[in-house]
Amino acid sequence: MRLRGKKDDTVRKVLLYLFYLLGSCLMLLPFFWMISTAFKPDAEIFTVPIKWLPSSFHGQNFKKAFQVIPICKYMLNTVYIAVLKIGGEVFVSALVAYGFARFDFKGKNLFFLILLATMMLPYEVTMIPTFIMWTYLGLSDSYVPLILPAYFGAASFIFFLRMYFSTLPVEMEESMVMDGASYFQIFYKLILPLTKPALLTIGLWAFLGTWNDLLGQLIYINDPAKYTIQLGLASFSSMTGETLWGPLMAASSVGLLPVVFLLLFAQKYFVEGIKMTGIKG
Amino acid sequence: MKKSQIGFLFILPWVIGFIIFTVFPIIAALYIAMTDWSIIGQASFIGFQNFRAIFADPTFYKALLVTGRYAILAIPLTIITALLVALGVNNDYKGIGIFRTIFYMPSIVSGVAVAIVFKWILDPTYGVLNSLLRLFGLTGPDWLYDPAWVLPSYLIMAIWGASGGLYIYLAALRDIPRELYEGATIDGAGWLQKIRYITLPMLTPILFYNLVMGIISAFRKFTDAYILGGAGEEGVFYMVYLYQQAFSFYKMGYATALAWILFVIILGLTLVVNYTKKYWVYAERK
Amino acid sequence: MRGGISLKRKAARRGIWLVLLVGLVLFAGCTGAKKEKTTYTFATWAAGEELKEFSAIIDKVNREAAGQYQVEVLSIPSDYYVKLATYIAAKKTPDFFWLTQELIAKYAELGAIADLTEMFKGSQVLTPDQYYPGVLRSATYNGRCYGLPWIANPLMVYYNKDLFDAAGVPYPPATGGWTWDEFIATAKALTRKAQDRHGNTYQQYGYIVDGWPNIETFIWAGGGDIIAENGVDVLLDSEESLQGLGILQKILKSGITPPYREVGSLGSNNVWFEKQRVAMFMGGIQDNFEVKIAKMPADEQFRIGYAPMPVGLDGKAHAFNWTASTVLSSKLAKSKQAYEIMEKITLEFFKWKIASPISGEVGRIVEIAPMKAAALETIPICLNQARSANYVPEWNEINHHLWLKLYNAMLNDPDFDYESQVRAIAAEARALIANRK
Repeated sequence: MRLRGKKDDTVRKVLLYLFYLLGSCLMLLPFFWMISTAFKPDAEIFTVPIKWLPSSFHGQNFKKAFQVIPICKYMLNTVYIAVLKIGGEVFVSALVAYGFARFDFKGKNLFFLILLATMMLPYEVTMIPTFIMWTYLGLSDSYVPLILPAYFGAASFIFFLRMYFSTLPVEMEESMVMDGASYFQIFYKLILPLTKPALLTIGLWAFLGTWNDLLGQLIYINDPAKYTIQLGLASFSSMTGETLWGPLMAASSVGLLPVVFLLLFAQKYFVEGIKMTGIKG
Repeated sequence: MKKSQIGFLFILPWVIGFIIFTVFPIIAALYIAMTDWSIIGQASFIGFQNFRAIFADPTFYKALLVTGRYAILAIPLTIITALLVALGVNNDYKGIGIFRTIFYMPSIVSGVAVAIVFKWILDPTYGVLNSLLRLFGLTGPDWLYDPAWVLPSYLIMAIWGASGGLYIYLAALRDIPRELYEGATIDGAGWLQKIRYITLPMLTPILFYNLVMGIISAFRKFTDAYILGGAGEEGVFYMVYLYQQAFSFYKMGYATALAWILFVIILGLTLVVNYTKKYWVYAERK
Repeated sequence: MRGGISLKRKAARRGIWLVLLVGLVLFAGCTGAKKEKTTYTFATWAAGEELKEFSAIIDKVNREAAGQYQVEVLSIPSDYYVKLATYIAAKKTPDFFWLTQELIAKYAELGAIADLTEMFKGSQVLTPDQYYPGVLRSATYNGRCYGLPWIANPLMVYYNKDLFDAAGVPYPPATGGWTWDEFIATAKALTRKAQDRHGNTYQQYGYIVDGWPNIETFIWAGGGDIIAENGVDVLLDSEESLQGLGILQKILKSGITPPYREVGSLGSNNVWFEKQRVAMFMGGIQDNFEVKIAKMPADEQFRIGYAPMPVGLDGKAHAFNWTASTVLSSKLAKSKQAYEIMEKITLEFFKWKIASPISGEVGRIVEIAPMKAAALETIPICLNQARSANYVPEWNEINHHLWLKLYNAMLNDPDFDYESQVRAIAAEARALIANRK
């Protein structure tokens, strides 16, 4: 019995690794193409049949990319926006989600429905009224409209955390109530540390949202010195100029690096799970 | 303070934010939908004329069909894919962290980048997909150039990008008390039974979240569809249609009316899903 | 009693909101107080490299203004018209901005841009008669002029001399006069199996069409048009227009152009010409094939030739021309200073791009792009053939139908019954125009 179990395990392991390798190829293919294009001279970018690798690695596109836009500065600007908003966004979203998950109050379901509903009206039609509002406040040409609303929570994060909190056992909280802790203390001292993986996950979403946002940043940022990475990448093609494919792919590859490093670094925390922190459910 | 009042205090920041940042644009959008506003010109009130015009426009029904059909197929496909991948990488094998990162990679790039890449993957002549099929002696379809294959093309893209939910599934999987599985093993339950009776029920809150978000994002699908299009009107998703009305035809009133119709559709579906919640979502504990 | 208190509270709360609101409005009002305007904003889609060149021009103008006024650049690197419209909606309209020809009528009709006719006609510096007529037409709506065109980019036929020699086909005339039938016959002779330098056989095509050139090119070739000059009548389903579309269908059916679904495999249509897979390409005179060829490895280079567009059934050659104009915000309609600044900047643009839209400046082309020297025989002819469609406010919508339901359908199915579709689109166009206020 035991032996067979071990053999099954090995077979399963081999199959899973096969799946990982195959899946990885599929997932990485586009990135591979992007990076390989970044190293190609112009004449090799569009060929028949497709050239998987450049005939010789060619750093020209990277040099050019850094000449066209200050990539590092734009990445720093983006990080600046992200850092200013993520902490507040995650904390407040968790706070609100906890309120929805663990308390009953009048109108709760209606409030929650309104929260969900705010995600259903397309941004494209509220964008202009929102912009007009910021213009009246004199803040339309700044990072403020991109950052400040985050401090009041983000609907999708609140929704996610509410569902997530609802899967947690309540016994710990109940015992803390018995010990005379306030609800805010419970939230701050128990829930936040306990749900770190989920909070990190939405922190990552918030970061990716800022990193990849084009339309919002486009509308509110005018000064090229304040440009973000997406606005910088958009500068490689124009209606009267030409799309610089090589430099664009080079800049895009560089623009991906921080995100990939962040992922690699943080991924083990995402899946840490509550069990690992040693708290019994 | 009563417990219910404390609960309200917890959600207060969001309520304040809603009043400051969201109420005005929504009221404005309600009004705009009843006007002939062109963004760059004056607006005059025309009542429900936009809605009447929309319901008489065959393109509206076509866009709705394209989007609805996509939603019905893409939502379950992406949820199942993400769940399967999450189950597949939910272990502590060597190097698993790297593979998890790789599987998550599609979600870190912007919609524009995904569209550019898929234009190349789905190319009928030299695209990666058809080149692969040719290796097996098969002739691939014309994908986005063939009206019948536009929908499958977008489904492939949806599946490729399905891993966005990977980490939340993983986190939820890790949170399932191990005792439950141990108990089931003692009772002689097999692998499939454990998934059916322990894993899935414990994941239902997250599944519910992904279902609702899936409805919202499928109906609001825009960026890649806008860039890639598709043969004739098969690639005109609802939001593409709306965007064209607003920003290339300058019919913001009409586009906003379209947005409200979309809003009602998504809200209706969400309410239905929400209504069924009590039958399948693992009970919230209070 | 309780009710009374809560009412009072409500009133107080309302009061606070009111004070806040009034304060806000006052604040907005004060900052926007009237004073002599000395700072102007210029919105452009130029970004990256192009923006650097654009900014250099603006800097020069600012230096010459010696403090009298200052022009600031607003670069919109993506979704230009979305941000532009948003700014106009928020009453932050840029003082000057670029506008493509398809939108001039729309912006004019909606009152977003100033009517320049009087100042333009009365100018001592730049007058309407200096422009190529087909170019100026693109900035005109209902007989009034709304923009200063700063570029002319009419179509011409680029061809690959090496492929012509290999197939033993004589070159087309550099000064024009060939018909569309002759063009198709030439393309047919160049559609053949060819060998690349590695000895692989591949299909070479005479010509390429994939949604480019615009559908106007073919409609005009039949002597027709989409909209009449009066901006009201729809000519789309006229006999001439249908004959023009017949030319397009003939091209698609004859196999002289690569199948539509294959075009995207090389990224875009011009790459087919650069890779010597098609022998002729209809491109704007601005296209920089010469520079790209010079950068290729020696064994991939080829000699390039130029010919004007073929003569249509009406006995004339029509070169579709893409032009962008600088327009003035309608709130500055009466400002002479603003107009003069705009005029000054426009004159600088003439030295920047190919080609200057005013006659007598062909010599500048070689200053800007020395490699265009070989095309100097052909380019002046093309500039005189430059033609603009009769753009109307409903243009984008009509054009959208034309692309999605007609051109795209014809590309996907060479046997497509375009006649009945054209009639349906013409009916829609008439309904749209009838709704104009």
